[in-house]
Amino acid sequence: MTTLDSQVGSRAIPNPKNSLITKLNAGTGLIVGILFAIGTYKGLSNTLDTSVYHLHNQVLLATMFMWSIGFLVGIGAFIGPVRWLVGKDLTAEEQLYMAGDGQGISRYFKYCTDHKVVGIQYLWGVITLLAVGGSMAMMIRTDLFNSGGHFVTAPIYNSLVGLHGITMIIALIIVATGPFGNYIMPIMIGAADMAFPRLNALSWWVLATAIPVLCSAWFLGGIPTGWTAYAPLSVQAGPGMNAFLATIIIFAVSTAVAGMNITATVITMRAKGMSWNRVPIFVIGATVSVALAIPAFPTFMVAMIQTAMDRSFMTGFFDANVGGTGWLYAHLFWIMGHPEVYVILVPGVAIIMEIVPVFVRKPLFSYTAAVVGFAGIAGLSVLVWAHHMYMSGWMPMLNGPFMVTTEMISVPTGLIFLVILGTLWNGKPWLKVPMLGAYAFLWNMLIGGITGLYLSDVPADQYLHGSMYVTAHFHYTLMGAALTGAVAGLVYWYPKMTGHMLNERASYVSFWLIQIGFQILYLGMFIAGSEGQPRRVADYASEFINSNRISTVGAYTVGIGFIILLWAVVHSWRHGKIAPMNPWGAKTLEWTVPYPVPLTNFDTPPVVTSDPYGYGRSAK
Amino acid sequence: MAKSNMTAGKRAASAILATALSISVVVGVGVTLNKFSADPNGKLFATKEADTINVDGKEYPKASLTMGVYADTEQAHADGFTGMKNDWVQYGPSNHLVLPANTYITMTIHGYDGGEELNNPFFGKVMGTVSGTVNIDGVEYDSLPYNKIQHTWTLHGIPQSTQDPLFVSVPLLRVEEDDEIGWVPTEDPITNFKGHTITFSFLTKGAGEYVWNCEFPCGDDTYAKFGAAMSGYGYMSGKVTVTA
Amino acid sequence: MSQNDNLDLKPVPGERLKKFLRRSDVLQSTLFGLIITGVFIILGGKYYPEWMPAAMSTDMKAIVKLMTVFTWISAPVCGVVLGIALYSFLNRHKGDTPPPDGPATRTNGPVVLLWSVVTSALALVAVLYGLTEQNSTSLASARNAEDAMVVNVIGSQWAWSFDYPEYGISSHELMLPIDRPVSFKVVSVDVNHSFWPVQLGVKVDANKLAETLADTTPTKLGEFDVKCAELCGLYHAYMETTGEVMTEEDFNSWVSTQDGDRNTK
Ligand SMILES: [Cu+2]
Ligand SMILES: [Cu+2]
Ligand SMILES: [Cu+2]
Repeated sequence: MTTLDSQVGSRAIPNPKNSLITKLNAGTGLIVGILFAIGTYKGLSNTLDTSVYHLHNQVLLATMFMWSIGFLVGIGAFIGPVRWLVGKDLTAEEQLYMAGDGQGISRYFKYCTDHKVVGIQYLWGVITLLAVGGSMAMMIRTDLFNSGGHFVTAPIYNSLVGLHGITMIIALIIVATGPFGNYIMPIMIGAADMAFPRLNALSWWVLATAIPVLCSAWFLGGIPTGWTAYAPLSVQAGPGMNAFLATIIIFAVSTAVAGMNITATVITMRAKGMSWNRVPIFVIGATVSVALAIPAFPTFMVAMIQTAMDRSFMTGFFDANVGGTGWLYAHLFWIMGHPEVYVILVPGVAIIMEIVPVFVRKPLFSYTAAVVGFAGIAGLSVLVWAHHMYMSGWMPMLNGPFMVTTEMISVPTGLIFLVILGTLWNGKPWLKVPMLGAYAFLWNMLIGGITGLYLSDVPADQYLHGSMYVTAHFHYTLMGAALTGAVAGLVYWYPKMTGHMLNERASYVSFWLIQIGFQILYLGMFIAGSEGQPRRVADYASEFINSNRISTVGAYTVGIGFIILLWAVVHSWRHGKIAPMNPWGAKTLEWTVPYPVPLTNFDTPPVVTSDPYGYGRSAK
Repeated sequence: MAKSNMTAGKRAASAILATALSISVVVGVGVTLNKFSADPNGKLFATKEADTINVDGKEYPKASLTMGVYADTEQAHADGFTGMKNDWVQYGPSNHLVLPANTYITMTIHGYDGGEELNNPFFGKVMGTVSGTVNIDGVEYDSLPYNKIQHTWTLHGIPQSTQDPLFVSVPLLRVEEDDEIGWVPTEDPITNFKGHTITFSFLTKGAGEYVWNCEFPCGDDTYAKFGAAMSGYGYMSGKVTVTA
Repeated sequence: MSQNDNLDLKPVPGERLKKFLRRSDVLQSTLFGLIITGVFIILGGKYYPEWMPAAMSTDMKAIVKLMTVFTWISAPVCGVVLGIALYSFLNRHKGDTPPPDGPATRTNGPVVLLWSVVTSALALVAVLYGLTEQNSTSLASARNAEDAMVVNVIGSQWAWSFDYPEYGISSHELMLPIDRPVSFKVVSVDVNHSFWPVQLGVKVDANKLAETLADTTPTKLGEFDVKCAELCGLYHAYMETTGEVMTEEDFNSWVSTQDGDRNTK
């Protein structure tokens, strides 16, 4: 095993002394970003009267965007392109410096192009978002413990609901493709780095600038709209709404950049011999996910820009009084919103499919079915958006067709179950924590899928739409299935990302706490929804109190489980058992490289001769 | 590379400590949010009166309450109403009212505001008062035209088995420059008009938690005029606690 | 597990199937699957009707039935998935080293085909059932359109109001006569709301300047809740009121106590 020090010792550390890039980091980014923001705010509020609603919105939006741009300027994101424009491209030494070679922990706070650094940055970004969003969930459940009594006021509750929602959605969109898509995936396909390393750094740092913008919503009065931000309520909302809009617009830029980069990497940088039928299934899943995000997110961005224009320039896209319509917003939103569910879900499924063959020591059952399943889901997911609008009154005649496309999704989803079950069949599973995740995934995905069947049915949705039942359903798919997959992936790849094993007892305890608490939490919510409790309510009739208390108890259990997991992740990072090179005995390429992974991953580019699922006693 | 040199005891201690720390962070945030949720101006208690009143053959104790609805105006200040946070229009002195159960409540509202049109003309009706009417400067009205209203005081709650339903909605006549009733404003119509005195009575039932809000769109500049003051807690909305 | 390897020996098809069905893992998975299917069938039939409020209209009756039937359709799916998963979970490899390799089954054409056909068929059943149900409700509303009582439902931030154009009255409570079809014309005066008289099983959004329609026939006397099912800002949670299904006489006497003032613009 090579250590970091011996790696560095064997090579000269690049140190382009006079280059500007050696002097820039997140600190300078912060300073420049804040200066840009203050300058913009001061400058604009001198000319625009901020006591006027729409002018105030203009000033706030401009300030938020300038913060983001300022931060990127300050951290040196534009040095490369500018140097290229003026004809003085970065020298080889400077580029090596930007890859962070030999800079220890400080490279995590720089504009670093190494995909492994970006992966770790994403991992901690995701952990931060999950912690923030999870804490808000705890507040929500605390408030709902009682009917009539109020832990927080209605506007704070509404803000909690909306900001919990959007924080978690952002976290889950990047939870798999961020850390594992960046750190593990290039190694998995035998590449030296991503196709566009600088864009990779850009995607992370753009996203990072969105996090403070999102948090600023709290200090601007919160948001009353939920994460769906339906217009015209979002047009009516106070200044906090600008933070929401700016966050999504910035985030959409980040996902577009990341999506192009991952897709290009998988298409062009695969190792010699890795034909499409030999690509590990996680890579397929991650690619399907980001490729689906590329067409999906721009519509979200457009919806946000139009909302921002309605608020700042009184354009009236969504204002029926001047010829607009809220239905337009709903369409734009859900044309993103439904594919987005699969942007989140597919990488989670793919991680489980990657894990199961390793722990039952059998080939993935029907690789083709898995790929067809993913493709089918991705393809159909862009044709179903109006199932969120059955009850909107937009066009009741089209409810039937949308019901048909929606229920067709159960066929490719069925293939996914088949692949996992087929792999389990005849095998003797090794029940390490990642493999436990696979079973939890099956159960949660099954419940999420079946309750989705009720919701996809127009007459049943007439009762269930907008109720707690919907909330429970999508938490089963997004949290129960996708997040469980991602956590399993974290336990699975933790040894390669940190060099240590994740504390086994803690992750075991946290697994059971999370999963059992989860079932209690959402059982209560299914009951509340069936009983007729609307979702997103700060208060409810005392008739619903028992089901809500069940949910709150479950939520606290889940919360404690995640805190233990967080402790394990932090603690094992330095103090965990030293990981062997291939602790699970897997056959994918990432387990063939040592920790720390060398800068260019492989000393000699690997050549692939089969798919990574060649387990089994008796090959025919 | 450093071998794990932590004993099991130390590890367990650090785990417990970290868990406790995380929980206390979450609890701390919760407590802070909870503090922010306290009633900005405390509670406003109805004053109980000595005599009783007979309504439909049943004796009720009496209690009364005085509120104002005002922007940050000089006249309102002179009458003892002071602004809370900014110059948004608001009900005062507090938005959280505490009323005794099974009582005849007489509410007096001093309204200092002008007005335009209701979004939903339905709320021009007087609903839920004992007489079915509201007394405005001595005259009884059972409804007001949708375009003669400055605000409404609309009390409602979540229907549930553990508390009695309570619904009261009263429109407040707007102040105008050529007001027939005689509150002719002197000099500056915004700061110096006297406003209307609006009185109505309703019966509380059993104990319960309710809310009230204004149904007149006074969140100027915003969509449907229901943003700003209308959507900010503690301006044109609040709670009503009926105590046994 | 030597019997697994026998699969490759291509015996007579009938023999092979018999042997397969006699395998202990197949038997156990099947047993688990049957138990789980049974549990879901019982739960679906018992708990949804228990949790959901008593139906007070034709629509709500159909919805409760539909929830039950859908649970029954999906019970065998749960049985298959969870039966196999549970067997595999219990049949785990113990120890701290990876288990020995299992059979190198890459795929199984007939199984994939069968699985796809069965899931497609189940999806088709669900689609057809839903479409039929939807069709029958829309046929019913077409039939009832003539003699339906029209109620204009107005959602405003954070209260509902109901106009009865036939009687020239308006109310903050939704009173309905029993067994007479009612047609709701729903609008909002501000942001989006969703009109939800819970026990009637009706729901439709309220939009600004765009009337949406819903209808049903109340079939049971009693009070019901009217809620807002679309987040509409500050007091969304309190945008609730009550309604009552009354006898014809009670309804008429209620109408006569209402003043004729509809307060329209
Ligand atoms: Cu969807
Ligand atoms: Cu008002
Ligand atoms: Cu509403």
